[in-house]
Amino acid sequence: MSLRRLIDTLCLAIFWLAGLLLLIILLGILGYLIYRGHSAINLEFLLASPKGLPLGTEGGILPAIKGTLCLIMLAVSIAALPGLATAVYLAEYAHKNVISQIINTTVQCMAGLPSIVTGLFCYALFVVRMGFGISLLAGGLALGMMIFPVVVVTARDALLAVNKHYRIVGTSLGVSKSYILVRILLPQAAPGIIGGILLAMGYAAGATAPIMVTVAAIATPSTGDLFQPVMALPYHLYILFSQQVSLDKAYGTALVLVSLLLILNVIAMCLRHQKRREG
Amino acid sequence: MQEKTGTFCLLVAWCSTLLLMSIILFMALESWAVWTEVGPLKFILGLNWNPLAEPQQLGIGTMILSTLWTALGALIMAAPLGLCCAIFLAEFAPGWITNFLRPAINLLTGIPSVVYGFLGATVLVKFFEVNFSMASGESLFCASLVLTVMVLPYIISASESALRAVPPEYRQASLALGVSKPYLTLRVLIPLAKKGLLGAIILGFGRAAGETMAVLMLAGNTMVLPTSWFSKGEPLPALIALELGTSEVGSLHYQGLFAAGLVLLIFVLSINLLLALFRWNRRNGVN
Repeated sequence: MSLRRLIDTLCLAIFWLAGLLLLIILLGILGYLIYRGHSAINLEFLLASPKGLPLGTEGGILPAIKGTLCLIMLAVSIAALPGLATAVYLAEYAHKNVISQIINTTVQCMAGLPSIVTGLFCYALFVVRMGFGISLLAGGLALGMMIFPVVVVTARDALLAVNKHYRIVGTSLGVSKSYILVRILLPQAAPGIIGGILLAMGYAAGATAPIMVTVAAIATPSTGDLFQPVMALPYHLYILFSQQVSLDKAYGTALVLVSLLLILNVIAMCLRHQKRREG
Repeated sequence: MQEKTGTFCLLVAWCSTLLLMSIILFMALESWAVWTEVGPLKFILGLNWNPLAEPQQLGIGTMILSTLWTALGALIMAAPLGLCCAIFLAEFAPGWITNFLRPAINLLTGIPSVVYGFLGATVLVKFFEVNFSMASGESLFCASLVLTVMVLPYIISASESALRAVPPEYRQASLALGVSKPYLTLRVLIPLAKKGLLGAIILGFGRAAGETMAVLMLAGNTMVLPTSWFSKGEPLPALIALELGTSEVGSLHYQGLFAAGLVLLIFVLSINLLLALFRWNRRNGVN
């Protein structure tokens, strides 16, 4: 009996430790980034172009911020509509049959696609075969392909979470299915869908492997021209570190990138959570 | 009108399937020369990668071994930790901790891989260099350690939902019999949810095998056959990321990289299909 109790206490202790370890990891990562990165961040860092020799030792990261914003906007505008349409099909029109099974599996496989493979495919197709060159368009398409499954899954869940009564009442009033969808279901699911899109934007902003072969440049003004390369925060961070340009600036860049992503994630979480509580 | 919206959505959904198919097909076409000239067996098991030498040697055996080593290593650490954490979240954590911990897990997935790689390279690698007086601290073990943190959130959320899917009758019956909660968890819930838990671990393995930036920055990038967990290596994704920019379009080197990508793609896809099969069985089965 006492052995049993000992084992129980031991198990409990292990489970608690495992849970708390995770919290410590997260706080440790954020705390260390702030501790090392805060001194690099000032107005000049955010609003100037990289300067100095080797490039990046002085100056700022404005082109990288601009480039990342261009990239995520482009990626979302490419992936949002197809993603939403697929989600609507899966949530509203699909019956439990082979077709919906295949599409569900496809989305799941696309979510599991290694990001470097997406990059490789887009490099060969858009950069080489179609002749876009290393360009914003190729990178946006690669990121769009990458975030498509995120949009589908979050939008599908948001639609499925809408209260079933709306559907039943709507149908019994003789309202057409597409009318219910546009006027009732989509507005009801909107916070969840927008939250999912923000989540996808964060995902796109942090991705490095697909953009390092399709769009990123070490130094360019990031004009936003579709056929020009841009700088991007994650790639800039990689270059600053791997070419040993400046560790301080690298910490600053990492802090800016992580803060941007955390803001996106927190807003997304609030939107999606609020919906769940009402539903 | 009703039909039109549905058909439109179905068409778009089919396009995604088409896209996935075309990715596989396209990669196979781009790398066709490698499969016919070098041969699949020699390519996958070959230990030398010298695309610029004469004669060219294309073998990705060492890279595959490095990939498996880092991913399995990450799994050895992440699986027990992730399962314990999921059990804690699903069964033991008080409400206020859950409300705190679950967003924290979501935020961990939000941190990009390049930041994980960067932190691992500046903190972990330094730590190994200083404390174990190694000439350079990069190793497969370092990569595994960082991958552990990266795949943990996926393992936790998947296994937590597997545990929560166990019907409540089992809990009620066990508690009515006066069984303690840890006993209930270990002897009843885990065996019942074992398929879902296994699925969570396999999902983590797929994630770890396809991850690029962290292994690129941490594994050391040397093309020797890794003999231990602490030697250096160059996993497949790192190879592709490093050499794609410098390979000449249309050369055997370029095609070799696509063949390597295809191997990685098929590996990860088969893991995902296996998972889909699991889920399909579970939905149709008793549990």
